Amino acid sequence: MKRHFAASLTAIVLLVLATSLAWAARIGDPAPNFTATDTNGQTHKLSDYAGKFVVLEWHNRGCPYTQKHYNSGNMENLQREWTGRGVIWLTVISSAPGKQGFVTASDENAYVKQVNAAPTAVLLDPTGTLGHLYDAKTTPHMFIINPQGTLIYNGAIDDRPTADRSDINGAKNYVSAALEQALAGKPVTTPTTRPYGCSVKYPD
Amino acid sequence: MIAAQAAPPQSGRPFSVGLLFHLEPGWHVYWQNAGDSGQPPTIQWSLPPGFRAGAIAWPTPTRLGKGSVIDYGYESQVLLIAPIHPPASRKSGQTDAVEIAADIKYLICREICIPAKAHATVSLPLSGDAAKQATQWRTLFERTESQIPKRLPSDWKVVARSNADNFVLSVRTAAPATQASFFPLDQNVIENSAPQSFAPAKTGFQLTLKKSDLLAKPITALRGVLVLEGNPAYEIAAPVIQQ
Repeated sequence: MKRHFAASLTAIVLLVLATSLAWAARIGDPAPNFTATDTNGQTHKLSDYAGKFVVLEWHNRGCPYTQKHYNSGNMENLQREWTGRGVIWLTVISSAPGKQGFVTASDENAYVKQVNAAPTAVLLDPTGTLGHLYDAKTTPHMFIINPQGTLIYNGAIDDRPTADRSDINGAKNYVSAALEQALAGKPVTTPTTRPYGCSVKYPD
Repeated sequence: MIAAQAAPPQSGRPFSVGLLFHLEPGWHVYWQNAGDSGQPPTIQWSLPPGFRAGAIAWPTPTRLGKGSVIDYGYESQVLLIAPIHPPASRKSGQTDAVEIAADIKYLICREICIPAKAHATVSLPLSGDAAKQATQWRTLFERTESQIPKRLPSDWKVVARSNADNFVLSVRTAAPATQASFFPLDQNVIENSAPQSFAPAKTGFQLTLKKSDLLAKPITALRGVLVLEGNPAYEIAAPVIQQ
């Protein structure tokens, strides 16, 4: 009897958690806090960055949509520009072990060096915990959190949902637009868009 | 690219051409709303002067993927049919060859995705092997046409009630239904990965659809494809009532 009681309690706890997860990443709500480890073994908590803008960028180097923005230098330039202006830029890899896009820490560090990427850190999320917390769907999928810890952008990197590098020129970059507005103290006019890219390769 | 009819195009009589995608096991291409990831194929037609291509008639897709990322698309094989309208100036009995070409950009995915391009052509009237195969293609066209969502029967009614978290789609049907699923035509309207809960009603049924976290402003119509048990599919645009 006691055992049954414990089992049903567990189920209730899980349900509550699932509900809060589904609600987690809404614009205007507090962005869910997380703890994650980067490719250098450092721990990062969202709460460490209170007072700063934080960009989360879901990444998979084997995905043609990610390649569009990396092989062109677009993503690296954005990382360099915005970290230069005091923004924390966290690249997140949620590919599970055995899934496409899974990387080891040393492998990823070599890649970052090779492409001259400039995020604040690359977070490894092989369990998909962080990905599910934000409900990241695609690579790339971009989120922006303001200094008060509120989610202010959730969506695509820009308005050209293709894997074609020639579409970067002339595209409206939603991340830069949102950061410019937020840094100027203005509301973000386009806080949500449909992210585009490959699906995040979560564990089964 | 293939054509269902072997005869020369006649003025005022649109005919169908189809793009046949043969996919290796495990690979898929996307519906007009790809869902959470992916991208639908796009087609650039090259037609003789005066000819005009209509929109693709998308067959009912299947749900692809699992967990929190759900896409809509096709596996193994799909025929994308579009009508071609000959010019009104075309004389009856005119039999000169009509060349139709299409440049297709599409994304094909399994675990990885590959952006691809293809060029396809067909010449009407069909001749040689193409003419011999026309009968076989006709069967494929007919089968595909049966998979294209129909208009809702005129005595059926749909309405969507919008509450804080869900759209509750009410469908009044002629006969009771036991199962239904909904494919949204627009992105960022419903949460693709959320279960759709079905409830039979006396005069039809209700389907509860979780709103997308990315739904920015109220919508006036919930557009999409409704699939009932046994796979009849209907195109709907349910007026939305805010609650």
